Amino acid sequence: MQEDGPGTFVRKVAQDTHRYSQELLEENRKLRVLLATLEAERQSLSTKARLAKEAVASSDALKALVDTLETEKQRLQEQLLRAQEELEHHRQDQHELRTRLVSTEAETREFAERYAHVEDQNSKLANLYVASYQLHGTVDFQEVVTVIREIVANLIGSEELALFKMSADGSALELVASFGIEAELYRKVFPGEGAIGRAIQSGEIYVAGTSEAEDAPAVVEPGLTAAIPLQLDGRVTGALAVFRLLPQKPGVEDADRELFELLASHAATALHCARLHAGPGQDAQP
Amino acid sequence: MPNKKILLVDDSKTSLFMESMILKNGHYDLVTAVDGREAVDKALAEKPDLIVMDVVMPHMTGFEACRELRRLEATRDIPIILVTTRGEGENVEAGFESGCNDYVTKPVDGLELLSKVRSQLGE
Repeated sequence: MQEDGPGTFVRKVAQDTHRYSQELLEENRKLRVLLATLEAERQSLSTKARLAKEAVASSDALKALVDTLETEKQRLQEQLLRAQEELEHHRQDQHELRTRLVSTEAETREFAERYAHVEDQNSKLANLYVASYQLHGTVDFQEVVTVIREIVANLIGSEELALFKMSADGSALELVASFGIEAELYRKVFPGEGAIGRAIQSGEIYVAGTSEAEDAPAVVEPGLTAAIPLQLDGRVTGALAVFRLLPQKPGVEDADRELFELLASHAATALHCARLHAGPGQDAQP
Repeated sequence: MPNKKILLVDDSKTSLFMESMILKNGHYDLVTAVDGREAVDKALAEKPDLIVMDVVMPHMTGFEACRELRRLEATRDIPIILVTTRGEGENVEAGFESGCNDYVTKPVDGLELLSKVRSQLGE
């Protein structure tokens, strides 16, 4: 049986209060949980916001970096392009320089050859000048003979020679002077006899080893290198025979042939002048 | 700079004349002598920078003059080039034994002589 009275009411109020308190407590707990959840949510959002902000900032930095890198890349590409252009330019320069170098080297060689040729010509002319100057520098017969010997020794390169004059009747060559050979073998040489005799007969200079010399099947004096007919006004007045050349002299050269030509006329003239200077009736020969 | 002085020694007038022409081309001042004895006297008096000397000469040969020039203190350092007729080893050896620095053979080649002169003068 239910008791109505103040006690019941109080108990009921107390129970209600208790329940209500419990509910409030429960509500409070729920609210606290909710608050904690919300706080966590807020923190999470805050973190996300911060991260997002950071990400945005980072993205901006990256974008700026990318932009910088892009600019740098363009700059480097331009530099590379310029370097390639320069390289190409240098290559062209190098090619041009090489071409010029090859051309310059060819020119240098040509100049060197020309220089050597000019020097050679100078040397020949100097020899001819020296020979001519020396031959006409004296009217003494012995001096002329000495000069001829020196020309043969120093300019041609032989220490063996024989100098002849034509006999008064023109029948034979008579030995005037000789060096380094056996004089007895050449006291007299007749026209047509041996290479010396043939040279005075033809009026042509004989040089051993030439095709003309080899074509002639006749006897040649041993060791003879050249036989030079000495001529005055187209008349043979004597002869110069040059025998063995010095060991270091390889053979008769063009310059020697020119000297032979010079001797053919100038030695004849010099010897003739020396005879005239010696006076009529006097034999200037040794 | 003054020209270098060369003493040219040869008893052959033709040789002297020809060698003078070659060396004058090289712009050298020349002094000449006609035998070994005169070469020694001229070397002492003229103090040349170089001597070009023939071997076969009267009174004193090139070899003898070369030895004498090497013996004398005043001339012992002057370079000497001998001009020899014979280029065989024996003759060349005798030249170097007498104290020459170099040699050329006859007939003298102008370019060769100038080249050896320049080499001896350190040009």
